[in-house]
Amino acid sequence: MIPAAPPPEQRRDLLRQWAGTPVTALVSALSAALAVWVASAVLDWALVSAVSPLRPMEACAEAAGACWRFYVEKSRFMLFGTYPYAEHWRPALVSVLLLALSGMVGLRITGRLGGVGPRVLLALWVLVIPLVFALMGGGWSGLAPVDMSRWNGMPVLLILSVIAIALAFPLGVALAVLRYQGRWPVLRRVAVVYIEAMRGVPMVTVLFVGVFVLPLTLPPGTRISPVMATLIALIFFHASYFAEDVRGGLQSLPASQTEAAASLGLSWGQTMRLVLLPQALSRSLPALVNSVIGAYKDTSLVVVLGIHDLTSTARMAFSEPGWGQYALEAYAFVGMWFLLSCAFLSWVGRDLHRQQSARSR
Amino acid sequence: MTTSKILMSLTASALALAAAPALAGPVMDDIKAKDSLICLVSATAPGFSVPDSQGVFQGFNADFCRMAAAAILGDATKADIRGVGFSDSMKTIVAGEAHMGSRSITQTGTRDADEGMAFVVTTFFDGQGFMVPSALGVQSAAELDKANICAEDGSTTLLNIADWFAAKGMTYRVENIADKTARLEAFFSGKCDVYASDVTALTADRQLAPTPGDYVILPEVISAEPLTLVARPDQALEATLFWAFQVMLNADAHGVTSANVDDIVADLAQKPADVQRLFGTDAATTDMAAKLGLPQDWAYQVVKQVGSYGEVFERHLGTGTPFGLDRASTLNAHVADGGLMYPYPIR
Repeated sequence: MIPAAPPPEQRRDLLRQWAGTPVTALVSALSAALAVWVASAVLDWALVSAVSPLRPMEACAEAAGACWRFYVEKSRFMLFGTYPYAEHWRPALVSVLLLALSGMVGLRITGRLGGVGPRVLLALWVLVIPLVFALMGGGWSGLAPVDMSRWNGMPVLLILSVIAIALAFPLGVALAVLRYQGRWPVLRRVAVVYIEAMRGVPMVTVLFVGVFVLPLTLPPGTRISPVMATLIALIFFHASYFAEDVRGGLQSLPASQTEAAASLGLSWGQTMRLVLLPQALSRSLPALVNSVIGAYKDTSLVVVLGIHDLTSTARMAFSEPGWGQYALEAYAFVGMWFLLSCAFLSWVGRDLHRQQSARSR
Repeated sequence: MTTSKILMSLTASALALAAAPALAGPVMDDIKAKDSLICLVSATAPGFSVPDSQGVFQGFNADFCRMAAAAILGDATKADIRGVGFSDSMKTIVAGEAHMGSRSITQTGTRDADEGMAFVVTTFFDGQGFMVPSALGVQSAAELDKANICAEDGSTTLLNIADWFAAKGMTYRVENIADKTARLEAFFSGKCDVYASDVTALTADRQLAPTPGDYVILPEVISAEPLTLVARPDQALEATLFWAFQVMLNADAHGVTSANVDDIVADLAQKPADVQRLFGTDAATTDMAAKLGLPQDWAYQVVKQVGSYGEVFERHLGTGTPFGLDRASTLNAHVADGGLMYPYPIR
């Protein structure tokens, strides 16, 4: 005999939720109409009026929709730009390494990658960052040297976002600790001045200083490539924002934590390392993820310095004579990439928020 | 280091210097040692230098990088063409990290007076002009008093406009829009009456209008923009660039192209003396090759692998391209057709 089932949970009354009052009904109808219109326009562009990638480029001339053949022709260019064609496996490997490592960090901080400890991740970063530059630059064990002006597209976007963020993070934590502590007032002042100055200046200004003023400080005749100059400027810029996020975490800790650590006989360094920072970092994670999303998207600003990241190679793809009509396809490619990567980042952020509010409940 | 060691190394370097050919300079030696010629171009100049789907730079300016590689190394594909921003390309050349630049740099007196960079030969004569909607009925730039002009902020374009309008005693208003696409959009939608830029750029930009026939380019050219190749100072390299370009002009004048050069060389004895001097085995060019340290057949390689000047112009900017420039109507026509392209004698 089938046992009597318990009464089901109350069913969500969709109709009441979406059209309970005339106002909600109107808003629902309007947004549904808008969604249908947008979806049909996108579908029409991407599929119905589109030209199949199997047909030649000439077929695209009259088409109203997407020209998929454009992606067959130009995807590799948009991803790797003017990097020597035969060596494309190197930027491809670099991109995969950086994306995999960023993905691992994202999964780890949401608690999904239990097997990989922070020490392993740290070791991977220390290994991967020099490897990225060695692979891109070449000049060892038979790899052809490739000048930095040929580092374009996806790997440059990732170097200037992922590596800049990864290197800015420890600097940011150090600045936050310096600003938080009271033992060395001079260092505290220095940290305050640095953080406030960096945060008080627009990113474009910092970038221009990095590319046009930093080289002036070098001995004459030497030259720092724009990619490296920008990377250095971005590290110093992002660090100040990360510092403020971490300081927020430190200041939210009750004073009793420090006192308890002191009563256990822990030194200042031990208190910071074992008691305060671990708690502060986990509290500031959501804010840090926010800053990371902002930093990642701002990376495209480097176009103004003549560095050819993904957005810039996409523009170059349709500035070749005769390709001018395919700007929409090129921008759709870049837009899709940023949509997907930022969706991952904001999923990490939302997951952290959810976990935190569950913990505090 | 002890004194004897210093003396030894000095002697060694003196010997190395003595062993090198008399004329070949350090930059030329560097190109040969690397077996690659580093040439800087603009990364986004449609028609002049823009990468194709394989990431290889194509265009009018890029072909002069290939000309240099074909002349010096005998192989146009040995040109390492890099897309670099304007100010960075100057710094790169001065710092000695590139051999030459082919990127529409206007040769000016003060730029030439700067150390570390030598202007070699003008590959393209340009000048600043005005484009207006034909509906305005304007025939000459002298009728542009009180006009609303779209131009790029901070460029020499604005300085030229200021000089020219002041000299004519006319007033104008500038619509400052930094982004080129937005600036053109403003002009085509009627936000400004006049669009000012280099004449070649105007010709290319007019193609982007909904109906290009609705716009006319006024006859006045208000500035001189000789777009010139630059090199790291080195007498042999500069001479090679200059004369390789003259080979392309001479080939142009005698109708020699990459397509027919093999036939012409096969039947050289029947050709005019000027052509024989270009491609002959004991001709002026072979004499130059020995003195400059170039391959014997450098002139043939330039024409075979890159083409004549007219061929390069037609390939990237001519009537068969989206830019549709009619070479005969520009300053870059052969001198016999009223242009400024004057082939120097190779003998």
